[in-house]
Amino acid sequence: MNSLAAQAVRLLATLGHLVIEGLASIGRVTRFAGRAIGLALLPPYYPARLLEQILVIGYFSLPVVGMTALFIGSALAQQIFIGGSRFNAASTVPAVTVIGIVRELGPVLGGLMVAGRVSSAMAAELGTMRVTEQIDALATLRTDPFRYLIAPRIVAAVLTMPILVLVANAVGVLGGFLLATNKLGFNSGNYLATTLHYLKFEDVASSMVKATVFGFIIALMGCYHGFHSSGGAAGVGKATTSAVVSAFILILLSNLIITVIVFGS
Amino acid sequence: MSEIPKIALKGLRKRFGNKHVLNGVDLDVCAGESMVIIGGSGTGKSVTIKCILGLIRPDAGRIEIDGVDVTDLKGRALAAHQGRFGMLFQGGALFDSLSVWKNVSFALDQRQGGTRLKAAAIDNLARVGLGPDVADLRPSELSGGMQKRVALARAIAPRPEIIFFDEPTTGLDPIMAGVIDHLIVELVKDLKITALSITHDMGSVRKIADRVAMLNEGRIVWQGTRQAIDETDNAYVYQFINGLAEGPIKMVVGGH
Repeated sequence: MNSLAAQAVRLLATLGHLVIEGLASIGRVTRFAGRAIGLALLPPYYPARLLEQILVIGYFSLPVVGMTALFIGSALAQQIFIGGSRFNAASTVPAVTVIGIVRELGPVLGGLMVAGRVSSAMAAELGTMRVTEQIDALATLRTDPFRYLIAPRIVAAVLTMPILVLVANAVGVLGGFLLATNKLGFNSGNYLATTLHYLKFEDVASSMVKATVFGFIIALMGCYHGFHSSGGAAGVGKATTSAVVSAFILILLSNLIITVIVFGS
Repeated sequence: MSEIPKIALKGLRKRFGNKHVLNGVDLDVCAGESMVIIGGSGTGKSVTIKCILGLIRPDAGRIEIDGVDVTDLKGRALAAHQGRFGMLFQGGALFDSLSVWKNVSFALDQRQGGTRLKAAAIDNLARVGLGPDVADLRPSELSGGMQKRVALARAIAPRPEIIFFDEPTTGLDPIMAGVIDHLIVELVKDLKITALSITHDMGSVRKIADRVAMLNEGRIVWQGTRQAIDETDNAYVYQFINGLAEGPIKMVVGGH
């Protein structure tokens, strides 16, 4: 009986530790984010670093994001056609495809693909710079590591993600259109007209809001975990994994919250 | 000595978790002198330097530069403080995404334009015995000794008042280690820089030090001139310079 009580206490203590550690992590990330945002707004700026990051995050993500959207758009149209045919609603393919892509799949899958590409690369690069003392070296070379390394990455991700998601949305709808008109027998003029008819401003607006938030999460997680990595090559590996996993979970969670706020009422 | 020391550490303490790394370090370094801190791995040598640089905040104690307390600097004041130092990192810490000349001219005023920056970089490379042909290479294309020299050129390029050398000869062959030691002595004299080095390479200590301080378990246990290390009867110094397993210094298994 005594040992049972002791075990219960130990369990509670472990739970307490986990909760405190979780809250402490949230505090640390929030402070990191606050400092990054504050410094991003104040000079000195590093425009060359910003352009470089826009190229790395935005331009080089285009093929991955485009392919993802094309494949998922086509698959979505096929599934809606099969599902809809069961109750004579196959004609809803263009409407449901465009809403599904623009509201959810474009931003979420785009965000996840960019997180996989970019958060990991940022964490690995900054983590390597940390363990080889390059970040300490910046401070001795009259350069604030936050301004030079973190701020340009966060600003670039926040600026480029909405554009990437716009592209993902367009290509996703195109994927549905190609499959529907070539395989399912839809008339191309009617398909486009229905698509435009059902596409509402708030769909695109919510898509852009999501993209901006996801861009922030992607860069923040990559930078935070890379910047605080320690313990050589293994530490950099751990930082990279943590960056991708935490970015994925935060993207899906924030997507849920935004969806409920915008479309829930 | 009546003059104000360039660097004064007073009762510096720092702990990480349960590990007390610095246990009250007291040390004065005079302007223009070359001080070397010796001690085994994990005795707090790197942490001492990072505290002076403002990269790590000490738990207690004070750091004074030219008699001015710099322990609690923040923001722009901290950045200005850090701008007075140069540092040669153990692994060089060159930026691998930038060419050699961009590394060397990194801390210089970037507004003066690429041509002048590159000329300044080549000047500084010449000071460490490297020709202009390495300027356009990437750090990864250089040998370990050459990377150290480029890192040295980068550290002296902004003409800092104080320069730190973190294990300057670790990982180099004896000849290259000799070359780096010689460069350090020359540069410190020529540019009138105050130097603070940490090393456990006794050959290097005998070449670069004016004065030596021995750190053990987070405290300075001995200090004196370069000549005095061979004459002292201090048991820590005797054990360290002779590399003896028996003595007052207990080797910690596994560093931080």
